[in-house]
Amino acid sequence: MTMLGFLILFPLAVGAVLLAIRNNAARNVVVVASALVIGLASIWLVAQGLNSAAPARFAFSSTVVDGLCTLVGIVVACVVVAFGVKYRNALAVVLAAVQLVGSLVFEFGFAHGAHVEYALYYDQLTLLMVFIIGIIGSAICVYAIGYMEDFQAHEPEGAPDKRPTFFALMFVFLSAMFLIVFSDHMVWLFTGWEVTTLCSFLLIAYTRTEEAIRNAFRQIVMNLLGGISFLVALYVSLFTFGTLSLSEFLELGQAYPQLAVLAVTALAFAGITKAAQMPFHTWLLGAMVAPTPTSALLHSSTMVKAGVFLLVKLSPVLMVCPVPSALLTFIGAITFLFCSIMAITQSNAKRVLAYSTIANLGLITACAGIGTPGAVWAAAFLILFHAIAKSLLFLCVGTAEHHIGSRDIEDMDLLFDRMPSLARFMMLGIMCMFIAPFGMLMAKWATLQAFTEAGDIALVLTLAFGSAATFMFWAKWMGKLAGIAGQPKNVELSVHSSEWVPIMLMAVLIALGCVGLPLISLNLVEPYLYLVFGELAFPIGLDNLIIAAVAVILMIIILFSGLGHSTARRANVYLAGVSVDNNERTFRNSLSGVTQATARNWYMADWFPEKRLDFIGTAVCAAFIVGIYAMAVYFAIVLF
Amino acid sequence: MQVFITILGCIGFAILAPLVGCLLAGLDRKISARMQGRVGPPLLQPYYDVRKLLEKDHVAVNSSEGVYITFALVFAIVAGGIFFTGGNLLMCIFVITLSSLLFIVAAYSSRSPYAEVGAERETLQVMAYEPMVLLMAVAFFLATGSFQVSAAFGLDAPVITQIWLAFLGFLFILTIKLRKSPFDLSYSHHAHQELVKGVTTEMSGPTLAKVEVMHWCESVLFLGWTGMFFLWGNPVSIAVAVVVALAAYFLEIWIDNNFARVKWQAMLGSAWAVALVAGGVNIGVLMYL
Amino acid sequence: MAFASKSPWVIHYDASSCNGCDIEVLAALCPGFDAERFGVINTGNPKHADIFLVTGSVNERNISVIKEIYDQMVEPKVVVACGICACTGGIFHDCYNVIGGVDKAIPVDVYAPGCAVRPEAIIDAVVQAVGILDEKSKALAAARKGA
Repeated sequence: MTMLGFLILFPLAVGAVLLAIRNNAARNVVVVASALVIGLASIWLVAQGLNSAAPARFAFSSTVVDGLCTLVGIVVACVVVAFGVKYRNALAVVLAAVQLVGSLVFEFGFAHGAHVEYALYYDQLTLLMVFIIGIIGSAICVYAIGYMEDFQAHEPEGAPDKRPTFFALMFVFLSAMFLIVFSDHMVWLFTGWEVTTLCSFLLIAYTRTEEAIRNAFRQIVMNLLGGISFLVALYVSLFTFGTLSLSEFLELGQAYPQLAVLAVTALAFAGITKAAQMPFHTWLLGAMVAPTPTSALLHSSTMVKAGVFLLVKLSPVLMVCPVPSALLTFIGAITFLFCSIMAITQSNAKRVLAYSTIANLGLITACAGIGTPGAVWAAAFLILFHAIAKSLLFLCVGTAEHHIGSRDIEDMDLLFDRMPSLARFMMLGIMCMFIAPFGMLMAKWATLQAFTEAGDIALVLTLAFGSAATFMFWAKWMGKLAGIAGQPKNVELSVHSSEWVPIMLMAVLIALGCVGLPLISLNLVEPYLYLVFGELAFPIGLDNLIIAAVAVILMIIILFSGLGHSTARRANVYLAGVSVDNNERTFRNSLSGVTQATARNWYMADWFPEKRLDFIGTAVCAAFIVGIYAMAVYFAIVLF
Repeated sequence: MQVFITILGCIGFAILAPLVGCLLAGLDRKISARMQGRVGPPLLQPYYDVRKLLEKDHVAVNSSEGVYITFALVFAIVAGGIFFTGGNLLMCIFVITLSSLLFIVAAYSSRSPYAEVGAERETLQVMAYEPMVLLMAVAFFLATGSFQVSAAFGLDAPVITQIWLAFLGFLFILTIKLRKSPFDLSYSHHAHQELVKGVTTEMSGPTLAKVEVMHWCESVLFLGWTGMFFLWGNPVSIAVAVVVALAAYFLEIWIDNNFARVKWQAMLGSAWAVALVAGGVNIGVLMYL
Repeated sequence: MAFASKSPWVIHYDASSCNGCDIEVLAALCPGFDAERFGVINTGNPKHADIFLVTGSVNERNISVIKEIYDQMVEPKVVVACGICACTGGIFHDCYNVIGGVDKAIPVDVYAPGCAVRPEAIIDAVVQAVGILDEKSKALAAARKGA
């Protein structure tokens, strides 16, 4: 209980302190120290809660906190309105106003009756999120120290140093994430939800360029829609079940699924917006203008995971509640397929990562939609490994960008020589994303099994084709990195140690996670399944997990100590003519001139036109959402 | 226990598959020659080729290529070991895909223009056949109730009776997997000159020998997949499976000799269409009827 | 036992000439003669080839090409000069830009004269080359053991 409170309040306090610190050295010390504290506290909490048979619930309710939540809600809305007025975005102002009025009416008109006795809790799924927020999140904050120093150096002369705000926002965000995963009180959860939205908004708009502002508003508009939907769910839950406790809501929902349709649909919609599923995927793509630690922390490993966290929490209800379940499986599957394919057409590394993030969130969404124990097992591991691998990749891309001056994959030619360690870490991250025996693929295996057992052919087909596309875009990126020629200048010597440490930590986590997957399953995921469903999943046999673990160890050895030690005599590459400079791949052409052989990757833009696919996906998903929402409302009206 | 059996299987496969694969490759060249009205090389020609390659000097364009290839071979053997000990079909598919990836990355690492184009085409080939391979595994799961290959021996009738459509789809992509014309885009055993030697352009001597051995292992594994459709709870079925696998191999040789290479668009389009129709319809029937 | 003689893979290159010898070389490699009976494969890739069949005389323009192809071939390797131009420069020997036979650029192991070189001569030369290849292969193996 104290620990929960500490994890929520400590980052908040650190955020406040950081806002005041103007000195770089002092800030760095505070960031590192508090990241360490948060990390250790998270580990301690996870170790405490492993294997417990029941969720730890804490009798805690406080009208003061309720009031604070209302206050925070007002502040969030006011900030959005202020920005909306300043940058003349009417839609954001209207939505923020609607939400403000809605939540005030709710708070003062209805919420008095509901009393949540156990407002704070944690179970194994929460612990999984705590691990992600506490370890990965704080590691990214440490990474941001070095990154933001370079970032500031790349800014035009005389640009204001907004780093205090930046770091304060990062820590406030961590606090909000902890609030989301610990709260059983749905209003508190909603407050955390809105704070993360606001943090994301402010961080996307960080550079204040026209593009940043535009993308920030796209984000806030879409997430406010989700927020309003969340509010609808609060109203409905209070009116139909008379409770604001998430756990009670889930129990009642399982018992009376027909009553829960509208509330669950509304929550599912909120989850979809937060997890940037089609048609709301554009906000995540736009969010890539933010500094890279933001993309790593908010837009791949944690904030978007809040969306799917909520969906996975709902899965036992979804299993018996076909309307919202259809919504999630459909949206998730379409998003996975379309975004995987669209990722092929991208050469901007951050956009590839963004599309892949959306696609994987789609897979998790679809798993949550199915809601069987096997699917939830898959979803849990997708969440975990995606968070680790994707943050590793974002951090690597961020560092590479500052040292090679580009985030275009085509410019990452020869990175294996230019930044030998970084390229290997990046290759590890990439492999963890798409190739067995690494974690994501083991989770995808469970997903395939869950989809097959659920008897949903559309899901199986989208997974088969989507995975093929996934192979394409990762393999060609990895190939670019792997190129070796001559001895180009090593440019990674100037990488800050505050960047290396988190990168290495992620790499170690990948290794530990993949090798220790059976243990995580046994001690964290299976107990959660037993808690929620009363049964265990074990989608993949232990023998196969052991084979996979051995293969992972082998691959890591190859990557970090096997490559580059062959004793074979060096030869030039064949250029079908007379080489001028073999390292540069230049040769004497038929007119005695010098020609350079160059190769770009395949983007297949005429096969997979991004604009058209985007339009189709958006249109289909939007229509589906409207249809399902209308159906849910209709059911609700009929029932009353 | 299963892990122990798998390790034994890998060792056994590492010994037997090159033997069988070598003979198959020799048979391939012999039959191809006969189809072209030639006598053709001795049956053991692939063995002579590999021995010669091992005798050659050890030369490489970089210090990593050989390592990637060695482990591509290792994982191909592991995939075979998993399959032939009745292990998990999906695991087998994933491990062989890992092997393909290492092969691709090896070619990329050389930065030779020809190898790079070959690697890109190889990536495309993986993308073309991967859906059908996964759908084949799903169809097998639906028909037997398990991803374990050994589950086929618990059946009263071979799994082909339920998933013959998926089998036809699999035969289609088998041509891509065995790199036979018309789908030998990335690399070909014939003297195609347009890409020099595609993926293997920069691989020479012992490294190329490993690639050859890897192809032998892959051939044996993929023919094993073919035979798997014809297994049931009767030892005779193993003989049936072997006969069918050999017939499928003959069919592939015939296709190889009778079709000209297609463009990548035709390959990707047709492979995905086949996967969607053959895999999709078959799985749909199994799920809903 | 050396296996080089059982699988001699060839690469051919036509330096400056009337092209007649190159046509004969390809004719000897075409399915009609079925050189694959003896394991001969025509590779387009010096890294895979054991025997280098050169036709035509060496001139200022192509000498570097011949050298580069030769350098990229992996030991053990054998060079066969096919046709009189490749052996000595032949009819072109006193042209203003001709340097001479192939041995002006790289070490030649077997000379197969003729204008154009007869298929029988080519086959004879390859048989001889295969013997040399075996010897070189053994020498390499011995050197490796010694080292």
